[in-house]
Amino acid sequence: MKVSIEELSRVEIITKEAKIDSLVKEFGKFGISGMTIYDAKGCGVQLGTQEYENEDEATGQPTLLHKQVVMVVLPTSEVDKFLDFVEKELYTGHIGDGKIFVSPITNAIRVRTGEEGKEALKAGILD
Amino acid sequence: MNEKKLGLGSVIATGVGLVVASSCLLSIGIGTSAIGVTFVITMVIACIVNILTLLSIAELNALMPDLTGGLAQYSLACVGPFITIICMSGGYVLCNTMAGSVECAMFANTVSGLFPQLGLPPWVFCTLLVIFLMITNLNGVDMFVKVQDFVAYALIASLAIMGIMGALGLGTGEIVEQPAVLASDFSNVTGLCGLAFFLFVGGEYVVPLTKEVKNAKRNIPLGMVLSMLIILAMQIFLTFGFKNYTRWGELGESATPHILYGEMLLGPIGKYWMVIVSLLATVSSVNTIMSSLSYILMGMSKIELLPEFFRKTNKKGAPYVGILLEEGIYIIINVSGLSTTDAISFLISVLAILWMISYIISNINVILLRRRLPNAPRTFKLPFGPLIPLLGIVGTAYMIYNIDPDWAVKLELYKICAIMIAVLTVYSFLWVKFKVKRPMFKPYPVKEVMAMENELYAKHHRK
Repeated sequence: MKVSIEELSRVEIITKEAKIDSLVKEFGKFGISGMTIYDAKGCGVQLGTQEYENEDEATGQPTLLHKQVVMVVLPTSEVDKFLDFVEKELYTGHIGDGKIFVSPITNAIRVRTGEEGKEALKAGILD
Repeated sequence: MNEKKLGLGSVIATGVGLVVASSCLLSIGIGTSAIGVTFVITMVIACIVNILTLLSIAELNALMPDLTGGLAQYSLACVGPFITIICMSGGYVLCNTMAGSVECAMFANTVSGLFPQLGLPPWVFCTLLVIFLMITNLNGVDMFVKVQDFVAYALIASLAIMGIMGALGLGTGEIVEQPAVLASDFSNVTGLCGLAFFLFVGGEYVVPLTKEVKNAKRNIPLGMVLSMLIILAMQIFLTFGFKNYTRWGELGESATPHILYGEMLLGPIGKYWMVIVSLLATVSSVNTIMSSLSYILMGMSKIELLPEFFRKTNKKGAPYVGILLEEGIYIIINVSGLSTTDAISFLISVLAILWMISYIISNINVILLRRRLPNAPRTFKLPFGPLIPLLGIVGTAYMIYNIDPDWAVKLELYKICAIMIAVLTVYSFLWVKFKVKRPMFKPYPVKEVMAMENELYAKHHRK
């Protein structure tokens, strides 16, 4: 398996569908040239109960809520600034604003050209 | 209610709206005639202290955005229901209801003086104004904004033109030769800080409209600060205008120093123009109070600090119970003649101390929430750690200390304020004990306060 020494990070953002458009509009500022967005169902520590519901009424059974996941890979050096932006963009103060997961990426490969690491994330220079 | 309707211009119009009341125009005359143009320094100090508190409120608004009313919710999450009820009921609800009534009376007396041939008692004009503003406010925030934008910008433009003309000596009247400075020592300049404070108090009334503001993250803090700076600029021009066109003695003795200035500056045209300005100032203040206070009442109802019926809205989304209640109180106070009594003016000064205490609590709230939620994303966060809120606390406490230059009046104000707090304490204790049924001083979790905004919260948490 090819392994790059360049530092890349994957950021996965789970949030409401209504927030996606305003969120992804600004991604270009952080050197993000591509993204993957997919539908998901799930719940957090509240097991899917609405914030206005009384905890005493909770059944203990998880309720799966519709969410969207935005997955992007970007240079690790940009991650702090990017997270600051995402947090402020998603913040409403209400339960359900979302979760962000950050994980390291060992490499990225563009299949068509064989470019690796950061080069695989930019517009192809070999074309 | 979902579509954001207000831009930065409307935020400024609302911010200026409540602050520049006709009583403020009177206060500039009193302050300037007492110490001369050094009153500008007093105004700058008061403006800075108010801006510090407004910035703190902007940070609270960034942390707990889109709440109806807003101000009560921040305190509930920081100091619990007992103190929140005392400050909000005294400092905002009662104080501004009284102030609105007095402003209505000023409007009525001015119009009555303009048309003596009609032979109508002043309360008729007051009632007509209140009914007009009630109808516009019941038509939702759209109509409020249309009225407010027109009135506030006409007011700003008029005061700016008349102030600049006076400051630059461009009036048609005779320029008066008199010393610019009557007193410049520290005690005289800062002793009037309490008076100057009233020239800037109320900029936070844009917060209750946050839900209707486009790009609120930027427009709320920016709008509040710009409102204060615009007001300061207008008042500085007026101060220098007073110096150029009105004798200090006559200015101090006049019951309507701004109208005297208008007459000295431009003759009869200036007089009538300033009459229109004071009417605009009154309409602007009453309109803002009627709109924002009804949202504050609705917000307090949502967090169970007021009865449920304040939550009701009409088809236009206007919180009509609060609007109708305010309208009724304004009319009753004016028809009964109470609005022109010295007692009610004194009561407003007393309640203003509670308003200032609410400002101190807002600054404390920022520090408390910084400790509880240090990493929560804030789209607006004050720099330099707790320094700015601390300066806001010290500055506002200093304003309370200087609420009146006369010690006898000051002590009387403190005494009545203590009695007022005692009365509100009893009310707050009973409401929390028997209605809220929660610990008096325990802050609510922020997530719960946010959840209470949802109309379904009450349904799921009936006691």
